[in-house]
Amino acid sequence: MLRLTRVLLILVLAGLVLAGCVAPQPAAPAAPAPAEQPAAEEAQAPAAPEEIVIGAIYPLSGALAATGVDLKNAVELATDIINNEYDLNLPLAKSAGLPNLGGAKIKLVFGDHEADPEKGAAEAERLITTENVTALVGSYNSAVTATASQVAEREGVPFLNPESTSPTLTERGFQWFFRTTPYDKLFAENFFEFLDEMKAKGYDVSGVAILNENTLWGTDVATLENEFAQQYGYEVVANIPYEAKASDVSSEVQKLKAAGEDVALLQASYVSDAILYMQTYKQLDYAPTAIIAMDAGFVASEFVQTLGDDANYILSREVWALDLAESKPIIKAVNDMYKERYGTNMNGNSARAFTGMLTLADAINRAGSTDPAAIQQALLETDIPADQIIMPWKGIKFDPETHQNVLGSGIIVQIQDGEYKTVWPFDLASAEIVWPFPKWSER
Amino acid sequence: MQRIRWQLLVLVLVVLLLLAFPFYVAQPFLQRTMILVVMWSVLGLAWNILGGYAGQVSFGHAIFFGLGAYTSTYLFTEWGISPWLGMFVGAGVAVLVSIVIGWPSFRLVGHYFAIATIAAGEIFAVIFRNWKAVGGAVGIYLPIIRGDRLIDYQFQEFKAGYYYIILAMLALIVLVTYRLERTRMGYYLKAIREDSEAARSLGINITRYKLYAMMISAAFTAIVGTFYAQFVLYISPNTVFALAISIQMALVAILGGTGTLLGPIIGAAVLIPMAEYTRVYLAGRAGGLHLVVYGLLIMLISVYQPAGLMGIYREWQHKRAARGMVNDSLPVATAEGGADDAVA
Repeated sequence: MLRLTRVLLILVLAGLVLAGCVAPQPAAPAAPAPAEQPAAEEAQAPAAPEEIVIGAIYPLSGALAATGVDLKNAVELATDIINNEYDLNLPLAKSAGLPNLGGAKIKLVFGDHEADPEKGAAEAERLITTENVTALVGSYNSAVTATASQVAEREGVPFLNPESTSPTLTERGFQWFFRTTPYDKLFAENFFEFLDEMKAKGYDVSGVAILNENTLWGTDVATLENEFAQQYGYEVVANIPYEAKASDVSSEVQKLKAAGEDVALLQASYVSDAILYMQTYKQLDYAPTAIIAMDAGFVASEFVQTLGDDANYILSREVWALDLAESKPIIKAVNDMYKERYGTNMNGNSARAFTGMLTLADAINRAGSTDPAAIQQALLETDIPADQIIMPWKGIKFDPETHQNVLGSGIIVQIQDGEYKTVWPFDLASAEIVWPFPKWSER
Repeated sequence: MQRIRWQLLVLVLVVLLLLAFPFYVAQPFLQRTMILVVMWSVLGLAWNILGGYAGQVSFGHAIFFGLGAYTSTYLFTEWGISPWLGMFVGAGVAVLVSIVIGWPSFRLVGHYFAIATIAAGEIFAVIFRNWKAVGGAVGIYLPIIRGDRLIDYQFQEFKAGYYYIILAMLALIVLVTYRLERTRMGYYLKAIREDSEAARSLGINITRYKLYAMMISAAFTAIVGTFYAQFVLYISPNTVFALAISIQMALVAILGGTGTLLGPIIGAAVLIPMAEYTRVYLAGRAGGLHLVVYGLLIMLISVYQPAGLMGIYREWQHKRAARGMVNDSLPVATAEGGADDAVA
């Protein structure tokens, strides 16, 4: 018995050590830059103005460590842009520090939540009570954001959430919680806005077919899509939930075929089932007017790798894409800085964290003090125009009740020659949309 | 006689120090860490009843933890039933489920029992992830109730409220374990652990006593599950039915010393602050380094003293005894004596 216990214990330990080893590698190159920065500043200005401490709670270790490092890099870059002078059309970029607070600099303190809601709350509490942070940003995982923002709500500290998309978060009626990213409901609505705009261009569909995997995520997406279809006046010709682990989907595809091909297919799938469906579509020669996917499986790297050319012409929602830089030069400028420091391009997560940090600093500056109530008021008055953010949004403005950014929006990308190209909103498109989805025999 | 009086004095002192803790340590992060230490002590002791005394290593205790959390939370958010009541309903549900799981899986011995419990734990996680009525993968948010009244089982300003609740649970499980060590059932469990065939030949109904141990263990785990839900105010299948919870429970008990009263408490007192402080001081700077340090420390202890921290303590006592400085031993080392009593 003891031997067994010991063996199992050693296995568990090995697991812990392995989990730990994943993180330090990406973190290492990032560390030197921010470490030197504050030291240099202090040396230049001995009579340094007061510092404004902001806590950032992210999954810096554990299974999500790689994402956590992206997020940490993004808020560090944003902080550098705020604290120093840069010729960029972003809030607070052209001045050093926060002008309304006598040029005070932002100092970041990080908390690691390991994707655990309890640890997220613990970190929020620690940052507020022992590090005396003025405000908090974070925390990526919706579940952790939920508990960490509860602590901030209790303590009366502003909490800005740049990247969690669970609808519930802004339905809690919190006073101190603000969210800049669009959330799942908005993304579903985007599909119908897109279809309406296509119709205005003369590309009509007779209705929509909804195909979703049947666990919580797919079911929720389908429910929202059904609601919006009704609201926007699109007939739902088929509504097919399926088992994501199915090894054969020809009967589902036959049903879709029978429902007519003159429709837009709205699909929510994970990666292996998305691939299986594509193969079955080809085999049974099913080509609806458009296939519009709720990201997930369709934006996983395996999708294009496995399907090659057969992956082309799929449309999918996204939060951000690097090719947006072609229509928004500010994205290229920021991404170049990011790439130079951290060696990778920005992605949807880092772009949103970066934007969240700037939004928070902008509000603190307008508040002109570190008084939480003044910052809360300033956040409510936030009005950042579209050209001052690196996101494909119409701007940043919070709903006075829910504190959700009402100007947020997703984008729709299309796979063309194996690459994801932004095709909607049309004014941000980097490529012309291919419409309708070509017949399999004609490609 | 002299020694007993000395022990009583230490006990009273420790109890007083524990009770006064929130008054001399005001810092919220330290208070929170202390709450976690006590919480994991209770969980470790609960695991210890089945895994330590009865020797049935379980890696599925998150089932009971999750059931406790979900039962009280569901009853509260849907029907407005007080979590105080829900806590005991949750314990009842956990006991029932422990019978359903225990009955078939106690036929399995050693490794196979441990594997079966891991599988059972995963099954529950999957069920709750897909069960829409209880929030599916999203989980359940508990409403924040201000006012810090004991009846609400929620404390927003007066953190110490949580501390005293969990401390009371610790007192209860310490008493239960202490009694267990000295009753017939405790001896039966130890006999089963040492040699189940021999125990059976002496007329002990092994399955029944293993089940009893599992039921007590499940009930306490579920009660702490409710506490966790009220403390964190958000539960989801990925957090309360997580394999990580089952492992941590076992880890606390094994590292401290299984089959002892103080072991799991010492284990929690060492492990939890270690995890919290390595995270706080290392995580922001060096990614996952704190997990490496944490893992290494656990490895060192388990390699050099497989009997856990209690083993180190006992070894030290033996050395002192050998030098003639102490002439009797603490009541914790009763395994051998216990087997004799079971025969009688």
